[in-house]
Amino acid sequence: MLFSEVYGTYYQVLSKILAKAVEGDLTQEVLYDIVRTHGFEESILTIPDALKTQAWPLIGQDYSTPLEHVPTMPITTLQKRWLKALLADPRIQLFAPPMDGLEDVEPLYPADTFVYFDRYSDGDPFHDPGYIKRFRCILSAIRHKRWLRIQFTGGKGLPHYWRCIPYKLEYSPKDDKFRLISANKREALMINLARITDCWLLEPYTQEEYRPQPMKKRILILELTDDRNALERVMLHFSHLDKQTERIDDLHYKITLYYEREDETELLIRVLSFGPMLKVIFPDDFIKNLVARLEKQKKLRTQTQI
Amino acid sequence: MAYSELIKNFDRIRDYMRQFYIYGFKSRTEYDKKSARSYDNERRRMESWLGDLMRFRQTPEGKNVFLCVDSRSIPRNPLYNAFKAKSFTDGDVTFHFYILDLLRTEALTAQQILDAFSHRYLRHFESDYQPDISTIRKKLKEYVALGILTAEKRGRELVYRRSQDAVALDGWWEALAFYAEMDPMGVIGSTLLDKLDAAPDHYRFKHHYMLHALDSQILLQLLTAMGAHRRVKLTNASLRSKAGQVEHTVYPLKIYVSTQAGRQHLLCFHYRFRRLMFFRLDYVQKVEPSNLEPLHQRYAGFHEKFRSHAWGTSTGPGHSIDHLEMTLHFDDDEPHIPRRLEREKRNGRVERIDQNTCKYIVDTYDAAELIPWLRTFIGRIEKLECSDEAVVQKFYADLEQMYSLYGGDA
Repeated sequence: MLFSEVYGTYYQVLSKILAKAVEGDLTQEVLYDIVRTHGFEESILTIPDALKTQAWPLIGQDYSTPLEHVPTMPITTLQKRWLKALLADPRIQLFAPPMDGLEDVEPLYPADTFVYFDRYSDGDPFHDPGYIKRFRCILSAIRHKRWLRIQFTGGKGLPHYWRCIPYKLEYSPKDDKFRLISANKREALMINLARITDCWLLEPYTQEEYRPQPMKKRILILELTDDRNALERVMLHFSHLDKQTERIDDLHYKITLYYEREDETELLIRVLSFGPMLKVIFPDDFIKNLVARLEKQKKLRTQTQI
Repeated sequence: MAYSELIKNFDRIRDYMRQFYIYGFKSRTEYDKKSARSYDNERRRMESWLGDLMRFRQTPEGKNVFLCVDSRSIPRNPLYNAFKAKSFTDGDVTFHFYILDLLRTEALTAQQILDAFSHRYLRHFESDYQPDISTIRKKLKEYVALGILTAEKRGRELVYRRSQDAVALDGWWEALAFYAEMDPMGVIGSTLLDKLDAAPDHYRFKHHYMLHALDSQILLQLLTAMGAHRRVKLTNASLRSKAGQVEHTVYPLKIYVSTQAGRQHLLCFHYRFRRLMFFRLDYVQKVEPSNLEPLHQRYAGFHEKFRSHAWGTSTGPGHSIDHLEMTLHFDDDEPHIPRRLEREKRNGRVERIDQNTCKYIVDTYDAAELIPWLRTFIGRIEKLECSDEAVVQKFYADLEQMYSLYGGDA
């Protein structure tokens, strides 16, 4: 059973409070601090009161507890079965987790249960030992806050070198690729991991040097005509983006999407895929690019019909 | 009943969260399925669980509340919080911490546990909580089913102990942070991350459809049935269907996950219609396990056959197969176009006609399913042919409408 209180936030918060109590470090201030930090926003109205009134007889008025051990809970069967299922995923080799304790566990699902039917077929080579080694090197640099030197192949096939602070590894399930988000003092670089041919761990960076640049967002405004269930399809399709929707009338909606400039071409073809259900209202350069494609298509059809 | 930020039942909040997340333009009065008080409570709960991710906008129709997040900007799916808000009784929580503390070093019978609760713990409090033996037995059974405790027969009695925990979770740290987001049952990973002192913040996720999280309970029930080769009774409530909730008895085969459209489908064999069918997971309201299916291998074979001509999640209007050919013309500086075809095609093949022309050829159940993808090549489509002429007509009719939209000739 997944929807169970044993996985719940309240039990997590209480574990932390009781751990402090067992160690003799619990005070009212500590208790409130734990609830504020680890609970939901309104947990502060419930948890301290239930402990204080002893509706949950776990802590005395003096913040002591009769528990003898710091609370822990064994991993449940469901959690073990999920971990075991992951061992069959091709990407698991990137992390090489320990398999101890899972020997006699039945996986939650066999590897071929999920069919990612619209995933692009040129994903990263997760079985390639060189790729795995470079992935781990980059992960290690992120984990240990170290500068990184990477070698990658440029557009003209020539090797390039880049010294950078690695900020994040970004994964896209659609592309089935990892990208390194990095920067140095002068500029930022996002690069597909599969293009990196070698990498080296360098010295630790300082807190002052760690300055990831927030991505600059652009605005795209669309008008949607709710025909053929377009409203639901569009809303779901773009649901991973920051967006706002306003109803114009029963059939028309204004959708404002926020996207990164580097994704403009991808967004353009995604808008095109909805055909006449979506009309771009803003910005003008986006409209210009879209109209150029339509005009090119019109010419192509005219030529082939002649 | 007094308001609580915890919930007993997941179904109602699943519906609200989905509406707040996907649409976000409805005002309070439009949530007509439930009472206004119910709306207020669910909205307040979501605000408590999700904080700043809940946003507001004032419109002439009233205040619109919506849930908004750029999946690329956060490391963890906030919707998992809904699964971590299950309500419990005072007795549940007291039992949980006492039993795990008590059995840390010893194995005890239910009666010994009851006695120890009184002598070791409850005597410190003036609480009214005093469990009886049947409550203790019921909770012990529940914890054994969860795998937290084990029960061993000793004479006529069961002796309970904590389960052995040989999993080195610390070594899973970075894998957990990844799979908690990218595995369809990632919510389980999220509960494991909660056990660690801190979750790593190494990853970001693009094209991440976080809404799938809300269907995790349904998905788990399907996975359980699939693992046991059981038929299931589905209660389906398609938003487009006028029939309301409809029950179907099916044999579940695969879960089709779209990485582009944000949907998950169950592919199953439908006993009444005698054919393979898809059901959207977000429309499935209930899954009940049924009898074992002795012919499960036969149905698995149906899928293998189906896959060779599938494009998406349509099994087609009939039993025929459509033939489609799309010829693309691209410029010298657009070598990515044939590469796109190779990368994005599902089944079918790509033929190079000349240096600037290539053709995609496919035989598929429902060529109409390809139309959105074909449109992404607008500007380069030299020729489109299909055995189902309506597909070609539809494509070009839509194109004409698009010309009109931007001021071109209709």
